[in-house]
Amino acid sequence: MTTTPTAPARPAKLPRDEDPRNPNHRLAALFDEGTLELISEDDTSGMLAAVGTIEGTHSVAFCSDATVMGGAMGHDGCKVVVRAYERAMADEAPIVGLWHSGGARLAEGVLSLHAVGLIFHAMTLASGRIPQVSCVLGPAAGGAAYGPALTDVVILGPEGRIFVTGPDVVRSVTGEDVDMLRLGGPEPHGRRSGVVHVLADSESHAIGEARRLASLLGDQRTLDLATVEDVDLAGSLPESVRRAYDVHPLVADLLDDGTGLEMHARWAPNITTTLGRLGGRTVGVIANNPLRLGGCLDSASAEKASRFVRMCDAFGVPLAVIVDVPGYLPGVGQEWDGVVRRGAKLLHAFGEATVPRVTLVTRKAYGGAYIAMNAASLGATKVFAWPGAEVAVMGAVAAVRILHRRRITEVQPDLRPAIEAELAAEHERIAGGVDRAVEIGVVHEVITPQGSRTAIAREIAAALTSPATRGRHGNIPL
Amino acid sequence: MASEIVAEMVAHVWRIVAAPGDVLAAGDTVVILESMKMEIPVLTEHAGRVAELRVDEGDVVQEGDILAVLS
Repeated sequence: MTTTPTAPARPAKLPRDEDPRNPNHRLAALFDEGTLELISEDDTSGMLAAVGTIEGTHSVAFCSDATVMGGAMGHDGCKVVVRAYERAMADEAPIVGLWHSGGARLAEGVLSLHAVGLIFHAMTLASGRIPQVSCVLGPAAGGAAYGPALTDVVILGPEGRIFVTGPDVVRSVTGEDVDMLRLGGPEPHGRRSGVVHVLADSESHAIGEARRLASLLGDQRTLDLATVEDVDLAGSLPESVRRAYDVHPLVADLLDDGTGLEMHARWAPNITTTLGRLGGRTVGVIANNPLRLGGCLDSASAEKASRFVRMCDAFGVPLAVIVDVPGYLPGVGQEWDGVVRRGAKLLHAFGEATVPRVTLVTRKAYGGAYIAMNAASLGATKVFAWPGAEVAVMGAVAAVRILHRRRITEVQPDLRPAIEAELAAEHERIAGGVDRAVEIGVVHEVITPQGSRTAIAREIAAALTSPATRGRHGNIPL
Repeated sequence: MASEIVAEMVAHVWRIVAAPGDVLAAGDTVVILESMKMEIPVLTEHAGRVAELRVDEGDVVQEGDILAVLS
C-alpha cells in the first residue's frame, strides 16, 4: 500500500487571534474598514460569514476557518455559507467567498457531503442573479474546489491550491508523483485548466482583486460621456497589416485609465477578456490577440469568451468587441478538441445576449470567426470598422486561388503572383473589403482609430436602458 | 533557470531575430513565425540568455516544438 510522505514541518501553532488564517482577519481585510458585521457565530463550524461594504457597495462574504480542522467543511459550516447566500440574494448584493479548506469533514460522513451539496445548490440558484467572487487563499480540495468553480470569478492567491483529489490519492491510484503546487497551483490553473480567472501574487493582492470585482460587478455606475476622451487606438498597432501585435495596450487605451481587470490572462491568450470602466461605467471588453496564435479563435478561446459574454450579460454589463481575427485555427487537434461544439458556445452566447454589444473590426474579420465575434447577424448593437478593414470569407488571395484555380494554373508559374494580385483586387472590389460590408449593411459605419473610443462609448450609452437590460439566465461555468 | 521557447502553432520560421549568447529581457522577440498569413513574433516570457537556437529560417515547426532555449 501507500506510504505517507513526511509532511513538511509546520510552523508552531499560533494563538487563534494571531493566526493570519483566522477568518476574522481575512474578512476584515476584505471589507471597508469598520463596516464588517458578523452574521454567523464565531465558533468551530469552520466557516464565518459577515456583511459590510466593499468600496462602498453593500456586500456579503464568508470565509473558511482554516484554524479549525484545516477549514474542513461540516454540516454547521455549510449552513453558514447557505445562510450567507440567502442574505446576499435577499439584499441583491455581491457575495465573496474566501476559501482555505481541505474539503468535506470526513468524520461527519455523508452528512457533510449532503451539506456541501446544499452550498452548490445555493450557488447555482444565485448564478446570474448576484455576482459571486471566490478567492482561494490556501488549499481548496474536493468540495472546496467545486465551490469556487461554480462562481463567476475565481481568484487564486500564491498559496492557493485547487484540486479534486490531493497528491496522496493521485499517487496511490495512478502512481503519479506530483505535489500540490503542480497539481493545482497558479501554473496549472492559470495557464492550462482555465479554472482560475485571476492570479494574485500575495494574499492581500488576491483580496484586493476580490474587492475590485465586487465593485465592478456590484456597483456598475453610469456612463458619463463627458468624461470620455478620444485616444488613437491604433497607436500601438504595427504599420504592416501582416504583423501580429499585442492587443493589451489597445484594450487599456479603450478603458478608463488603470481600470482594466483581465480574466484568464494566461489561459487561451489568443483572446482577451477584460472587465473595466468606460466613462465610469463597468463594461466588458473582448479582443482577439494577434500576438498569440495569430489571434485565431480556437476551442479554448471560444469557450473562454463565451463564458465572459454570458457573465456580462447576466449582470447587465455592456460589451465592446475588438475584432482582428484571421479565422478559426485549423487542424486535427482542434477538430478533435471539439472546436465545433465549443465554438458554438460563442455563437450562442452572443446570440442570446441582451446587453448593448458594440463591435469594432480593426484590421480583419474572416470566415466563421467573423460571425462568432459579435457580427451584425448575431444581433450586435452596432458594428464599426476602421478604414481598410477586411470583412470577408477569407483573405482575397486565398479566395481567388480557390475560385480561379484553373485559370491560375494555366499561366506560367512566374506570372502567377501577378494574376493572383489582379484577381484578388477584383475579388475584393466585389466580395470583400469594408466598402462592400457597409453596402450590404453588415458594417454599420466606418470610423477612424482616433474617434473609436468616443464612438463605442456613445453607442453603448445610447443603447443602455435604466435599469440595464440583463440576460435571464445563470452563468454556468462553461 | 533554463526556459524553453515553444511554438504555439504550426508555422514557418520566417525570421530568426535573436542569436545564441544574446541577453534578452522579458518580452523581447526571439523569432518571427509565419502562420495564418501573418508574421507572429515569439516573445520571451522571462529574461535570459539565448543558450540555444533549435530552428533555422524556412523550417516548418509543429505545435509544441522547441524554438530556442534560454538559460
